[in-house]
Amino acid sequence: MEDSLSAQSMKKDIYTEEFLINMGPQHPSTHGVLSLECRLDGEIVMDCTPHLGYLHRSMEKIAENRTYTQFIPFTDRLDYVASINNNLGYCMTVEKLLKMEVPERAQYIRVIMAELNRIASHLIGIGAFAQDLGAFATPLFYGFRDREKILEIFDEICGNRLTYNYIRIGGVQSDFPEGLDKKINEFIKYMKLKIDDYDQLLTNNAILLARSKNIGCLSKEVAINYSITGPNLRASGIRRDIRKDAPYLVYDRFEFDVPLGANGDAWDRYKVRVEEIRQSLRIVEQAIHALPPGNPTSKANRIHKPQAGEVYVRTENPRGELGFYIVSDGSATPYRLKIRGPSFSNLAVLPELVKGLKIADIICILGSLDIVLGEIDR
Amino acid sequence: MINLIKNFITGSISLLKGLLVTLKNIFAPTTTIQYPTQKLKMTERYRGLVDLRRDKCISCLQCVKICPTACLALTSKLTEEKKKALESFTYNMELCCFCGLCQQVCPTSAIYMNKIYEVTTYDRKKLYINLLDPEKYVAWTSAVPK
Ligand code: SF4
Ligand code: SF4
Repeated sequence: MEDSLSAQSMKKDIYTEEFLINMGPQHPSTHGVLSLECRLDGEIVMDCTPHLGYLHRSMEKIAENRTYTQFIPFTDRLDYVASINNNLGYCMTVEKLLKMEVPERAQYIRVIMAELNRIASHLIGIGAFAQDLGAFATPLFYGFRDREKILEIFDEICGNRLTYNYIRIGGVQSDFPEGLDKKINEFIKYMKLKIDDYDQLLTNNAILLARSKNIGCLSKEVAINYSITGPNLRASGIRRDIRKDAPYLVYDRFEFDVPLGANGDAWDRYKVRVEEIRQSLRIVEQAIHALPPGNPTSKANRIHKPQAGEVYVRTENPRGELGFYIVSDGSATPYRLKIRGPSFSNLAVLPELVKGLKIADIICILGSLDIVLGEIDR
Repeated sequence: MINLIKNFITGSISLLKGLLVTLKNIFAPTTTIQYPTQKLKMTERYRGLVDLRRDKCISCLQCVKICPTACLALTSKLTEEKKKALESFTYNMELCCFCGLCQQVCPTSAIYMNKIYEVTTYDRKKLYINLLDPEKYVAWTSAVPK
């Protein structure tokens, strides 16, 4: 009673008021066009509501007017940092619908490409995270520099650097050109050294630790309730990786660990990504040595007419569980296509995490969640 | 006070550790090139602008049918020898998403993607390209290093 009285008398002296500010949609730290409506009390965040839809392109409706092959380039534009993984998820769904077999070499190539793309995506993730914390430009451009090596490899394989459109229904667009295994092996050697650089530059840096340790702790219960997936979930200490739990392609033939975090804070989410790069390098290394001979390509001009029915396939994207749900009515186009983008649920938890923290921590937490707006808005 | 000094020392040490990495990178070979004067050679499979080898095209319409953004259009007529001959073939670069499906499905490799990547213009009309015109890409800067 007395407390509230003194609080009331304080209010008379200093007039304070909560206020609303909009962060974004044009803000360098919102990773695309995301608008955060924040209710602030001074510097403390009372509430935060993400507003979406600025990048909505109606992908799911477009799919209903495209043949199964024609929709592959559109999946590139979902999570544009990890296009191959989107291609893969979509093509695997259609293959399941068609009950189609994929040549073994194509499966190995898919694993190699998906893992390389995962590395590229995580490099952007950790680079942008460090940039959001104020390590201006240096880590981000180190990330870009190393990602460039992967893009060069991709450029040689499929001819594009961002929207690859490489995976085809029943195979891949083209086989590896000659001498590419050597290039990939060189990259693995290079990247293993560079990862230690990141550790030295960032992981145990006192400033990064001060800014991100115990910030935005995501507890196991909250993570499960919000259906968080991917590195963000693993950072909370839950061992869940579809590559291990329900192996697709040939992931069960490779040895790799699932890195876990302890507290689920921003630093853990960062650390899990760094460790995942190491594990992905291990997978690529094993896959490139075991690459079987054969013809991995498949023709693109076939019109696929699957039987009426529905399928759902989930794959492990760099950002979490990517699911495609297709309903077919037996025609050449999907009757309905639904995309379950991991970033959507990863962003949904943001208001829970930022309550009561400072406004600068929003940026830190958002950076550590590593969202891509293309996938959220679809 | 003691905490402050401790923080200062640990902060400085990790700053120095970080600087060591940047120092190492200062003496590493450069990874960038001076773009307008220096240019990279595009890879063999590079997907630039869509181009046509006119004599090879058999007007089968495969490329038009596969294009996800409907940016290709062609008309043809029957010649006296009962063969299809191209009448017009247009390419709307504004819509093209450079997916490469058209070049993959072409049975005679008539349609292909060249190495031009500097594709900006002030005039929107220039993005509607007549593929039958042999000089269509002359105005675009050639990306092939000289
Ligand atoms: S590259 Fe793709 S979008 Fe462009 S013309 Fe060819 S099929 Fe159409
Ligand atoms: S697919 Fe090739 S041959 Fe057929 S119409 Fe197109 S360019 Fe001509």
